[in-house]
Amino acid sequence: MSESTLFGLAFILFCLAALVYLAFQFSKKSSLANVGFWIAAAGLTSHTAALIFRTISSGHAPFTNMFESMSFLAWAILLAFLIIDRKYKIPRIGAYILLIVIGIVALASTPLMPKEATPLVPALQSYWLWLHVSVTMLGEAFFAVAFIASIMYLTAKEPEKKDKMDSVGYRCVAVGFPLFTLGGLIFGMVWAYKAWGTYWSWDPKEVWSLITWIVFALYLHTRIVMGWKGKRSAIIALIGFLAALFTYFGVNYLLAGLHSYA
Amino acid sequence: MKRIFKFLSSIKLAIILLIILAAASILGTLIPQGRSLEEYTARYGMLSGALIKLQLTTLYHSVWYLALLFFFALNIIVCTLTRLSAKLNRASRPKVESEAKALQALKNKDRIKRNAPLQAAQAETVARLKASRYKIRTSAAGNRVSLLARKRIAGIFGSDVVHVGLLVILSGGVISGLTSVRQNLEMREGQVVSIPATDFSLRLDKFTTLYYPDGSVKTWISDLTVLEGDRTVLTRKVEVNRPLNYKGFNFYQTSYGYNWDSPAVEIGAKKKSDPAYAKKVKVKVGERALLDDKDQLTVSVVRFLPDFVLGEGNQPETRSLQPNNPAALVEGFRGGEKIITGWVFANYPDWDQMHSANAKDKAAPTDLVFQLKSFEAGQFSVLEAAKDPGVPLIWIGCVLVMAGFGLAFYWPTWEIKAVFEETLGKTDIVLGGLAAKSRESFAVEFEAVAADLRRSK
Ligand code: HEM
Repeated sequence: MSESTLFGLAFILFCLAALVYLAFQFSKKSSLANVGFWIAAAGLTSHTAALIFRTISSGHAPFTNMFESMSFLAWAILLAFLIIDRKYKIPRIGAYILLIVIGIVALASTPLMPKEATPLVPALQSYWLWLHVSVTMLGEAFFAVAFIASIMYLTAKEPEKKDKMDSVGYRCVAVGFPLFTLGGLIFGMVWAYKAWGTYWSWDPKEVWSLITWIVFALYLHTRIVMGWKGKRSAIIALIGFLAALFTYFGVNYLLAGLHSYA
Repeated sequence: MKRIFKFLSSIKLAIILLIILAAASILGTLIPQGRSLEEYTARYGMLSGALIKLQLTTLYHSVWYLALLFFFALNIIVCTLTRLSAKLNRASRPKVESEAKALQALKNKDRIKRNAPLQAAQAETVARLKASRYKIRTSAAGNRVSLLARKRIAGIFGSDVVHVGLLVILSGGVISGLTSVRQNLEMREGQVVSIPATDFSLRLDKFTTLYYPDGSVKTWISDLTVLEGDRTVLTRKVEVNRPLNYKGFNFYQTSYGYNWDSPAVEIGAKKKSDPAYAKKVKVKVGERALLDDKDQLTVSVVRFLPDFVLGEGNQPETRSLQPNNPAALVEGFRGGEKIITGWVFANYPDWDQMHSANAKDKAAPTDLVFQLKSFEAGQFSVLEAAKDPGVPLIWIGCVLVMAGFGLAFYWPTWEIKAVFEETLGKTDIVLGGLAAKSRESFAVEFEAVAADLRRSK
C-alpha cells in the first residue's frame, strides 16, 4: 500500500466515523458511540501508517510544509480526542471533532497546498524539528478539544452536560498547557539556541506562542485562584485556542514578511 | 504600605499584568520592530515620530515593557512568598485534630459503626490507608482519637515550583540582556581570527558546501581548529545546528559567502564564420592566457562582477555578492595587438556584445565571439561567535517550570481525616476526605476505603 492509498483510506474512515457519531448524537445509543470510536481509531491507524510511509520516503519529519503540517495537526487532534474520550467518555463531541479533522484534511488536500516533500534547508535538519513540532502540535490538539468542549458548554442547556463539558475543558488544558509549554516554548528555545545562538529573538511566531501561553495561564489562574468556572472559563479557552490558531496560520499568512525562519 | 503589599501580592494584579503584556506583545507583532527611520516614515508618515518616542518600534526592549516584566516578577515573588509559609506549615506541622462535625461537612464523607474497641478499629483503618500509600498521623484526646492521612503532599508546591522557575527564566533573560556578546565572523580557509577578550583564536581549515541534487544548499561544514598561542587545542566540524562550544563561547555556522577577489574564469571562443571552431581557456582575473596557438590569440579578463547591473551613469556594477548574473569584461589580443573587448555573461551565452578594440571601427562586427563558460570563486564561511552567561539559568528555569507542572497537575494531594470515638466497646468512625485535584478518582478511592472498613470484621 502506498502513502496516498492509506491517506485516502483514513479519510474514508474519518467520514464514516463522523456519520456514526452523528447517528449517536440523535439516537443516544451508546453502542454507536463505541462503533464511532473504533472506526475513528482505525482511521487514525491508517493515517499513522501514511505518515510513517511519508517519513521513510522523504527522509525527514512529516511536517515541513503546509500540507504535511496540517495533515499532522488533524492526526494530533484526533489522537487527543481519542485519549480524552477513553478517559472521560465524551462521545457527544465526537461528531464535531471528526468534522474538524475532515475539514483540515480536506483543506490540506486542495491543489493550493504544495504536497511534494522538498529537501530541508540546513536550519531544519535537526532532531529538534521532531521534538519541537510534534509536542507543540499535540498540545494545540488538546486546546482544540478544549475549544469544542467550551463551545458545547456554551450551547448546552442541561446542567449535567454543562458540568461535564466544563470539566473536560479543564482536563484538556491541564494536558495541553504543559505540552504546549514544553514543545512550543522550551523546545523552541533550545532549538533556536542550538541553531542560531539565541534562545529568544521576539520573532512574531515566538511572540504569538507567548500570547497563547499567557491566555491559558489566565485560564488557570482565574479558575484555580478566583474560582471562575463555566461560562467565563469556556470563553477564555475559546480565546486561547484562537490565539494558538493564529500562531499557527495567521503569523505565516498575515504577518508574513516580518517573519523568516530559515 | 500594607495596602501596597496586598496589591502586589494579589492575583488581580497578576491578571491585569498578563492582559497588558499580551496586548502589548500583540502590538509589537503588528508594528515591524527595529527598522530604519525611513521605513517608518514611509509606512506611518506623521505618526512615526510618536511611535519612536513611545518606543513602540523597539517595543520588547522598551522601558515600559521591561517595567511590566519587572512588576510581573515582583508580583510573583510577593504572591508566592506570602502563601509559602502557610503551605510549609501545612506540609510539616499539620493540624491532626479534627471534629466529627467538621468532617461531615466535607464533600467526601462517611460514618462507620464498628463492633470493636477503638484500638482495633484504629489499627484496621491505619492498615487500610497505609495499603493505599497514605502517610498517617494520629493524636488522642480523652476517649477520642483523630487521624490525618495524606499522600503526595509535594503536590501543593507545584505552583510555587512553576513560579520560581519563571523567576529563574526572567533573571536568566536579564543576565543575557546585560552580558551576552555576539560577533559575526567571516572566515576564509586558512585564516586565523583571535576571539576578543579571550586567550584563544580560531582557524578555518576547510570550508565545504554540500548541495542537494536540485542545486539547493544541503549544508555548510567548517573544519575549525581552536588555538591557544601556537598550540592546537582541538579541531571540530561545525555545521548548522551543530555549534562548537569552547570556554563559554559558541561558534555557529550561519551562512556562507563568495570570495570575489580573484576568481578563476573559463573563457570560450567561437567564430561566426566557422561553426566547428571552439576553444577554451582558464584564466584568473587580471591575467592573460593563450587561447589559440595557431592564431596567436590570447585573452585576458579585466574585471569580474558576480551580479552585473548597469548602475548610475550606465556604469557596470554588482548588485550583490551572490552569483546571480555573473559577467566578465574580457579583452582579446592577436599577437601584441588588442583586437576585441566587451562584457560576456554566464547566463546569456549568446548575448553578443563584443566589439572591436579599435576605437575607429567600434561599430564593425567581429568574427570572434567570447563566452563566459564557468567561474570558480573561493567561498568563505560565515560564523557567529556568541557568549551568553544567562543561558544556564534559562534551562534551569525551564526544568523547574516543567517539574512544577508535573506536581501541580499530576501529583494531586489527597487527605483523609478520621475521628474515632469508643462507647461501650463499640467504635464510631467518622471519615472525611479532601482533594483539590482529581476529585473523581479520589471519590472512588475514598469510597473503596470506607467500604473495606465497613466490611472488616
Ligand atoms: C504566566 C505566568 C504564570 C504561570 C505559567 C503560572 C503557573 C501556575 C500554575 C501551573 C499554577 C498551578 C495551577 C493549578 O494548581 O492547577 C499556578 C497557581 C497559582 N499562581 Fe501562577 N503562574 C503564573 C503567574 C502568576 C502570577 C504573576 C501570580 C501572582 C499573583 C500567580 C499566582 C498564583 C497563585 C496564587 C496560584 C494558586 C495556587 C497555589 O497557591 O498553589 N501566578 N500558577
